[in-house]
Amino acid sequence: MTIRPYVTSFVLQWKIGLRYRLAVLAGLVAQMWFGAISLMAYAAVYHHAPDVNAPMTLRQAMTYTWIQQSFFTLLPLGCLPAIGEAAKSGAIVYDLLRPVDLWNWWLSASLARLLGNAVPRALLLALVAGPLAALVGLNGWSLAPPASFEAALLALVSFILGAFISASIVMWWNIVAARTLSPLGTYAVGTPLAVLLSGMLLPLPLYPDWARDLLLLQPFAGISDIPIRLYMGMPIPGGVVTALGIQCFWLLALTMIGRFWMNRTISRMELQGA
Amino acid sequence: MKTAAAIEVRDLRKTYQVRDGGSWRGKTREITALDGISFTVPAGEIAGFIGPNGAGKSTAIKILSGILRPTSGTVRVGDLVPWENRIAHVARIGVVFGQRTQLWWDLSVAEGLALLRDIYSVEPERFRRNRDRLAEALDLNGIMDQSVRQLSLGQRMRAEIAAALIHDPEVVILDEPTIGLDAPSKLAVRAFVRDLRRERGTTVLLTTHDMHDIEALADRVIVIGHGRILADSPFEALQATTLSERILEADFTGPPPALFLPDGAVETERGTRSVTITFDPQRLPAPALVAHLSTLPDLGDLRIGRPAIEEIITRFYADHAS
Repeated sequence: MTIRPYVTSFVLQWKIGLRYRLAVLAGLVAQMWFGAISLMAYAAVYHHAPDVNAPMTLRQAMTYTWIQQSFFTLLPLGCLPAIGEAAKSGAIVYDLLRPVDLWNWWLSASLARLLGNAVPRALLLALVAGPLAALVGLNGWSLAPPASFEAALLALVSFILGAFISASIVMWWNIVAARTLSPLGTYAVGTPLAVLLSGMLLPLPLYPDWARDLLLLQPFAGISDIPIRLYMGMPIPGGVVTALGIQCFWLLALTMIGRFWMNRTISRMELQGA
Repeated sequence: MKTAAAIEVRDLRKTYQVRDGGSWRGKTREITALDGISFTVPAGEIAGFIGPNGAGKSTAIKILSGILRPTSGTVRVGDLVPWENRIAHVARIGVVFGQRTQLWWDLSVAEGLALLRDIYSVEPERFRRNRDRLAEALDLNGIMDQSVRQLSLGQRMRAEIAAALIHDPEVVILDEPTIGLDAPSKLAVRAFVRDLRRERGTTVLLTTHDMHDIEALADRVIVIGHGRILADSPFEALQATTLSERILEADFTGPPPALFLPDGAVETERGTRSVTITFDPQRLPAPALVAHLSTLPDLGDLRIGRPAIEEIITRFYADHAS
């Protein structure tokens, strides 16, 4: 078995992603805007309740928000658009006609699409929210550097695992799109689910005590919440082992169950029309 | 040259479950798409697969391509069962669905072919040879660097055929490859398929609604209707019997008069200013029929043609229903 087709699939989606440079810029502006509004809200809340012992400091909440905003497009918001379109038009039959492992083939495309969208934005946003913000004197509002060199390394590993988890969830949406012959349902359900459960809307550490640990155990926490906590050196119950363990568990579970479900779907798929 | 694989189909059945009303509350019903078909296509033969819409052609083609699992029956393409050895099977077939595109809209034709080279793991040397040969035969050199979205339908179809053949498939399945094409493009596609078989001994299964495709290409014709095989014979044999029929349309300047037709011709349609006559040229040669009609008053124009394939098949089915 050769790895070449999967690399090709990755490179193809990456190229298509980079073709839309204007979208990167527009997205960046939108994310800066949302980020700034969230920061002001946090600042207001924290300043009016100085005696509450919050699980995150204001500075941590700000850094958390900036990184979440940078990785907005890394979230599994729905199926891979190309697969959704193919499901609708019926061109999906050609995917089944390729001598490749369909899971790996779609996974590499999904991963490339997520990274192709997220990485350029994340780099730009990190530059603007980090050193540039500090230079113009917005030190208190900027993205803080990693807690330590070790934290940075751990976060990097964790971010990579997070990207794979996200791509695996996208794979589940791809299967839903193939089954329903439309991408729309996956966006309608996938977007709110991902935004809420990833900590994008409200950082997971700020949820009430009873919900906090449960939220850490669901797969969406592994996409960006866990990597961000490692980056900031925030305590996680059970430490680094739990953090990476949760991620590995979900990656494995999503892949194994997803593959099984996909094979079932393919063997029962009844493609309509000529 | 590799030896091409034969296709062998035995007692193939496929039923679909459909839900009335399209919602989960509807009652499920079983629809039989294929009701036990058997046929063999020897290596290196071009077989035409014809029948009206909904006859089961597409279902059969999807099963042969390995993307659909039959309810029962056996299929062998070469030594493989398509749906059991999907990856090995699809690596040595090439498929063109005339109504779908397999090239990537955002990429140029050349980029798309290069991608397929990676997907099918075609060695660089063989890839270069195949690409140049296909570009020459399908006249693609002028459009190699254009993105697929900018191609005309005819150009795109030629590129699609090249895409399906870049990995030297032993069996080629063409599902309506000439649909929507203009005359020169159709001729180019037909010439190419003929050469492909002659030069490479490729086995070809072709579905079409265009009788001229069948006439130009097929050694054998398999007629399918309501999920069953109605006829499976060499093209000449089928032509001599069923496909020999011609239709004659006569236009009149006023209401058409009552016709008394000689043996071998029947009136099949009557309009306010025209009459359609179906005749068998072996029993009643066209000149005789024309001579017979030319004495009629108010006759404006006469046209002789072939009945549409659907019409032949529909009648064929009616004849074979019992």
